[in-house]
Amino acid sequence: MESSETGSGLNSNLDRRSLLTAMGVAGLTTAPLISSSMMSSADAAGQTINFTAWEYQPDTIKSLVKSWSGKTGNKVNISFIPNVGYTAGIQARQRGGKPADVFYNFAYNSQKFVNQKWAADLRGLPGADKMVAEMFPSARSRFVAENGAIVSAPYFSAVHMLQYNKKMVAAAGFSSTPNSLQETYDQCKKIKANGVASPYVAYWVKDFVEEYLHVYLLAGGVKPFDNKGDPIFMDDPKTLEVLEWWQAMYKDGMTPKSVLTDDPGKHTTSIANGDAAFYALHHYFLRDIVESKGSASADIAQAKIVGTGGKTLQMGEVIQMGGKVSGKKKAAAWDFMKTYGYKDSKGEFSTFQKWAASGALCAPYPGFFKDPKVIAAFPKYMDLSLIQDTFQNSSDIVPARTLPWYQGFQAQCGTVIHDLLLGNSNPRATANALAIACKTAKSGSGL
Amino acid sequence: MPNRRFGFYLALPAILVLLVLLAIPALLTLFQSLFVVPDDGIGIGQFTDVDNYLFIFKNEIFWATCLRSIVFAAIFIIGSTLIGLAGALLLNEKFVGRLFLRGLLVLPWACPWLIVGIIWKWFLDGNIGLLNGVLMRLNLISSNQDFLSNPDTALVMTALAATWRQSCLVALLLLAGLQTMPRDIWDAASVDGAGIIQRFRHITLPWLRPALTVVTVLNVIYGLMQFDVIFAMTQGGPGSATTLLSYLIYRQFFIFTNFGVGSALAVALAVIALIGGLIAVKTLYRKIEV
Repeated sequence: MESSETGSGLNSNLDRRSLLTAMGVAGLTTAPLISSSMMSSADAAGQTINFTAWEYQPDTIKSLVKSWSGKTGNKVNISFIPNVGYTAGIQARQRGGKPADVFYNFAYNSQKFVNQKWAADLRGLPGADKMVAEMFPSARSRFVAENGAIVSAPYFSAVHMLQYNKKMVAAAGFSSTPNSLQETYDQCKKIKANGVASPYVAYWVKDFVEEYLHVYLLAGGVKPFDNKGDPIFMDDPKTLEVLEWWQAMYKDGMTPKSVLTDDPGKHTTSIANGDAAFYALHHYFLRDIVESKGSASADIAQAKIVGTGGKTLQMGEVIQMGGKVSGKKKAAAWDFMKTYGYKDSKGEFSTFQKWAASGALCAPYPGFFKDPKVIAAFPKYMDLSLIQDTFQNSSDIVPARTLPWYQGFQAQCGTVIHDLLLGNSNPRATANALAIACKTAKSGSGL
Repeated sequence: MPNRRFGFYLALPAILVLLVLLAIPALLTLFQSLFVVPDDGIGIGQFTDVDNYLFIFKNEIFWATCLRSIVFAAIFIIGSTLIGLAGALLLNEKFVGRLFLRGLLVLPWACPWLIVGIIWKWFLDGNIGLLNGVLMRLNLISSNQDFLSNPDTALVMTALAATWRQSCLVALLLLAGLQTMPRDIWDAASVDGAGIIQRFRHITLPWLRPALTVVTVLNVIYGLMQFDVIFAMTQGGPGSATTLLSYLIYRQFFIFTNFGVGSALAVALAVIALIGGLIAVKTLYRKIEV
């Protein structure tokens, strides 16, 4: 682990998980004291916040911003950048001297942005510790760096789930969804024999396949990285089993051959029209499947990816504060971030309530799932308690995914995994290539 | 005021814009390619001589990507020039609906590259794509083909998508050239007994040579710099089948945030484009001798 990259000044013997747990307890007990002694957001009225977001539900974003502005007397200038090219866009603005005060970011960029002073460390801001303390313990390390810096607040969180066609699974003679990767293959094979040409779909495009690497490693009982962020998956024999399974799924036609370039929209249409039995992706895609009103939409339900035994990947994106924001503007920006990524001034998850209603998005707080307004807002065809249980007990965020070098690994991962699926590589060589990709990403020597 | 000075003053605003928008960034890129540029973008960093160049030249990924980029550009240049030329010749003839068809030429060109990529992604789709439907009806294939997920066809298909858009611009430019050609030269050649191929070879083609030179140089640049269509259609995949130099540059700048190496790659790409452009000019440009 290159702790110097994160600027760690902590004793390296201190376990990361212990630190985060301690932060949780400390945050819950000391936050009220700290909050009262810190700058109040009420001091910060009349500020103008420059907010940059990507274009997911821009009208919802505008209404959330308008609501906060109305309550606080601060103005927010919203700037949208298309999802495609957001990373390049936000970096170009930073380098061009036009940084945002508050901005959406991909979690894998968050620590890098703090290291580069493009984003602020939120430690010490009123309620920041409490925000972290109220999260699922499994989620905290997405927002807290190894040195204790709070790098971001949540924009949304999600878990990978298996959307499945109940009738197809039952017709193939199975009483439940798969409880292992092997069972996934077996069920697919049976369903394929029943006439569904490509039973399994997933978003395996080059730039996204890295998420599935973790989904399947976790499902196969493999811990991908150790607590220091060093890769350990290649030393685990189960990794080879996972990669063999993955290759077989593609090679044996359990997925369409076009899965390497297909978009989620196509997969949604596919399962909603009865052309696929399984669709592995974030939980909120069930909403698209049901609301597309395809011929099989009513038959689609949601399950954990490998039943009750294994874990899946918990993901989410974040909001960050610009590294140069200071004074009263900082107080206003933080108040905005708290409202957007935590709770409003009344202590309600008002932003997340809205996202739950409009996009079935979740927040990494147990309190979110108990909030009556969230429960009322969440689509009725989704099993919120199952999603909560997955967040709480059956998912892992893989902390290494937010380390500063990680995006370099992600960029190389797609080529390596595609080579495996296309039969140009075998599982052992793939595991080795992934380990080399980690090494080059860490040293910044990837091409 | 002498004519030359007047001409210079007229060109001055354009020269200034080009200096600010092209020359300075180009020089800055060249400069950065010799340094390890800090991630935060502040300052220029440590001078590394030509280490960034040595790094990319020693990397086999670079050479494989170079070759792929040249193949992509070759398909793009040849395809868009030939299709554009054929379109221009057709639309230069008199027939009912000619004006309407000329108007249609602008449509693909008006589409951003990214949108072209998305349109073609659906067109080539392995399950519901129009191309598969047409080929099936013509009995040319017996089952749907996954053009974009197949490493053997993905590069050609993405190049064709880009070609589709560019050939419309080529047709427009060449059509403009054709319309300046005096009709009496063509008619005189007919009277002298020249056939259609001879007239095309000895009259039309030489007349279009300056326009073809410009078009080919533009095609070299667009072909080698292509990014958006690839990004929309395959993101460089499957595997590395459609990863071009422009994609590597994007990765270095915005994923690895390695501006030094990214700049070195950009300079390498610019040199390749320059060589390509020079070859095009050398091969095609001659004074009109009609």
